[in-house]
Amino acid sequence: MYKELALALGLGTVVALVFLKKRKSVLKAHDGWWGVGACHQGPEDDSIRPFKVETTSEEIEDLHRRLDQTRSFPSLEDSQFNYGFNSKYLEKVVSYWRNDFNWRKQVDKLNKYPHFKTKIEGIDIHYVHVKPKSLAEGTRAVPLMMVHGWPGSFYEFYGIIPLLTEPSSPDDITFEIICPSIPGYGFSEAPHKKGFDGVCAAHIFNKLMKRLGFNQYYVQGGDWGSLITTNMAQLEPNAVKGLHINFAPPGKAGLLMMLSILFGRRFPKLFGFTEHDVKRLFPTMEKLVVDAIRETGYMHIQSTKPDTAGRGLNDSPVGLAAYILEKFSTWTDPEFKNLEDGGLERKFSLDDLLTNVMIYWTSKSIISSMRFYKENFSKGLNQPHAKLPVYVPSGVASFPNELMHSPKSWVTQKYHKLKTYTPMARGGHFAAMEEPQLLAEDVQILLQFKLLYNDRSLL
Amino acid sequence: MVKESHLWIHKLIYIYSPKTIPIGDGWWGAGEKPSTEDKTIHRFVVKTSVEETEDLHRRIDQTRFTDPLEDSRFNYGFNSNYLRRVLSYWRHQFDWEKQVKVINQYPHFKTKIEGIDVHFIHVRPVQKAGQTVLPLMMVHGWPGSFYEFYKIIPLLTKTDSDAVFEVICPSIPGYGYSEAPHKKGFNTLEAARIFHKLMERLGFTEFYVQGGDWGAFITNNMAQMKPECVRGLHLNMVIARTDSLGQLLSLVIGRYLPFLVGFTKEDVRRLYPYMEKNIYDILRESGYLHIQATKPDTAGCGLNDSPVGLAAYILEKFSSWTDLGNRDLEDGGLERKFSLDDLLTNVMIYWTTCSIIPSMRFYKENLKKDFKTRVDRVTSVYVPTGLAAFPDELLHCPSAWAGSRFADVCSFTYMPRGGHFAAFEEPQLMAQDIIQFVEKVESKSHK
Repeated sequence: MYKELALALGLGTVVALVFLKKRKSVLKAHDGWWGVGACHQGPEDDSIRPFKVETTSEEIEDLHRRLDQTRSFPSLEDSQFNYGFNSKYLEKVVSYWRNDFNWRKQVDKLNKYPHFKTKIEGIDIHYVHVKPKSLAEGTRAVPLMMVHGWPGSFYEFYGIIPLLTEPSSPDDITFEIICPSIPGYGFSEAPHKKGFDGVCAAHIFNKLMKRLGFNQYYVQGGDWGSLITTNMAQLEPNAVKGLHINFAPPGKAGLLMMLSILFGRRFPKLFGFTEHDVKRLFPTMEKLVVDAIRETGYMHIQSTKPDTAGRGLNDSPVGLAAYILEKFSTWTDPEFKNLEDGGLERKFSLDDLLTNVMIYWTSKSIISSMRFYKENFSKGLNQPHAKLPVYVPSGVASFPNELMHSPKSWVTQKYHKLKTYTPMARGGHFAAMEEPQLLAEDVQILLQFKLLYNDRSLL
Repeated sequence: MVKESHLWIHKLIYIYSPKTIPIGDGWWGAGEKPSTEDKTIHRFVVKTSVEETEDLHRRIDQTRFTDPLEDSRFNYGFNSNYLRRVLSYWRHQFDWEKQVKVINQYPHFKTKIEGIDVHFIHVRPVQKAGQTVLPLMMVHGWPGSFYEFYKIIPLLTKTDSDAVFEVICPSIPGYGYSEAPHKKGFNTLEAARIFHKLMERLGFTEFYVQGGDWGAFITNNMAQMKPECVRGLHLNMVIARTDSLGQLLSLVIGRYLPFLVGFTKEDVRRLYPYMEKNIYDILRESGYLHIQATKPDTAGCGLNDSPVGLAAYILEKFSSWTDLGNRDLEDGGLERKFSLDDLLTNVMIYWTTCSIIPSMRFYKENLKKDFKTRVDRVTSVYVPTGLAAFPDELLHCPSAWAGSRFADVCSFTYMPRGGHFAAFEEPQLMAQDIIQFVEKVESKSHK
């Protein structure tokens, strides 16, 4: 009798474990409805409409009028960018914006790639879809969705798109690129209901790829894009063949992470820490706590009062520019805080920076973009997707000036099939815009790694 | 022998005399400090112009509205639908010229101290026979101004008590009509010293001080710097939480055995549930503090250009900090306790003086890495103190803890109603409490 009982228990445990494992591996998402009012009965309009970015003289005149009535306030003596955006340099930016920046020319540049819109779950989703001009004999273009973050946009990818759709080397893979706008950002409609978080965005983007006819595809992302693409992989591990991210913030603080923080300085090799890891993580108080507090004020106010925080920025283009460009300065290199001009033009052109700001300005999307923080953080850090690992082959590009640094041993806690982890030579948070060549190379490396190690299912 | 006894006496005096914090000195004007300073006190009149009003109207007219999320009320910040109503009132009914006259009903002055113009109003009392006139400085906070005291001033300059007050309400440098410091480092200690110099310049050697929000910290510092000048300190924000082990332990025990740690029923009601009231609510309400303490120039930039943005940012606080329950109301409960005229007058003070950015810098200057170990945070206050604990204040401090910071608590009142902007919201209650506190102090000192 006891034998039977033991066997039953044993079998039961095995079945339960298998069952649980199966259930744990896949993130579940429900269809949402983000449009105005109640969900319509009947089929949704799933047509794909071409979209063109447009501007009018009224739009430009209104912008100029507002720029002309800027009320600036002088920064403290000798404060550089340590109190936020410096007033002297802001005057230069405003002057360029008013007198030299050509929005019509930039709109033409935006339209050089084809744009589309399609309704999913009640809201219009905007995206750019770039097919390679020519393909080598017998090859197919690999579909790759690249997702932006805050305060960026699809425009961040304009430098890297040609490197991926027309790679210079014949050994490189040719991609077909889809860059959507997160709902609430840029030309994508903002959700009208509460609760639209990263998982909801991921679900919508998976649907978008399906609607475009892709059953299998790759994803790449940084900032929110990194979270959303990770969620996409968790939701549809059979559709997402590979995941590449350039931002991998430390997930849940597990035992390994705690131990490595306590002992990693003394015994770096024990945790696989490189010299760079040690430099970025220690002294822990300074690097992980004080630095984080210094740079997360925006995150705190956006996660709690987004409608208030964005209100003034939707009316004042200068306020919007200062708020957004401060991030392009500090998040590219934290040392830029000590420069009078914030080092902005060392890595970016004012034209590119202001084009990104104009996308937020003309689409009035600053408030809805900030709400994404509240929707993601207000439920706490214990969401199902945060507890689930990622089983899709992944690659991480670790840029030296990224906001938060995760050594390889931390990344593998969440990304169980990490194929590549590349410490990059230079670059910060806005990697695609700042170092498109380096990022493109790393994406190629991940895919070629897969080629090398037999996973040819897509290629 | 004589020398030794001198030493002993010195030692005794040192042990029993209250510790003070250093007074220091500063220069906040632009460029280099000149050899002499102009110490005259100039009369000041708040003015407006047609251009100012037209510019405001033009900016309000070009507001670009966006829809709020369905059913979000005030939980995502200032609700856009209610904001439309406020803007409509501001644009079509609010009369700034009339409000400027209201502001000018009390005499205003400016005087240069440490290189910057310091603004204040000075209201003399209506003295009845047998009443003593006591000078009282009342200091505002953020996002308030001297205007918050306009309802309470008449209740203090005309009383039925033995004491009647001569009220001085300054503007903190960087706020309203006070010039903003041009140099880094201007914190509450610097403001306290400047206000001491102001009282000295006005000829007062002993006076009372009252404050809430930043005003509480500044008046606290004033009492710590020169206790011999501060006859009494009255606060409507009780800043006695030290997060010491003792306090944390009593929080844990106090939930179940409140009497053991000196908690009253009211303390328990205001402190618990702990996580909700002390952690979550604070996290939910301190985003502004975080961004202002790190990037004030960025945070204030758009608000200095957009009156709508400024109004939403400031009035959101007048909603939440008066009653956290207001977050669940479609209109944020603003007009339940305040008139739109008063609320917008306060906003106009920030708008017309372009002072939102320097007002935010005050957070960065004060909340540095050393904010827990700074000299004033580890020194007690030895002047007679009166504490008014309002029920809807953001963070509650039980009377049992007051002693950890204040060595001489003369009165601790659990106020029946009211929130953070106490003087503005419940002037009657506050005036009563100040008067009863002062009466206690005066009778003690006469004994």
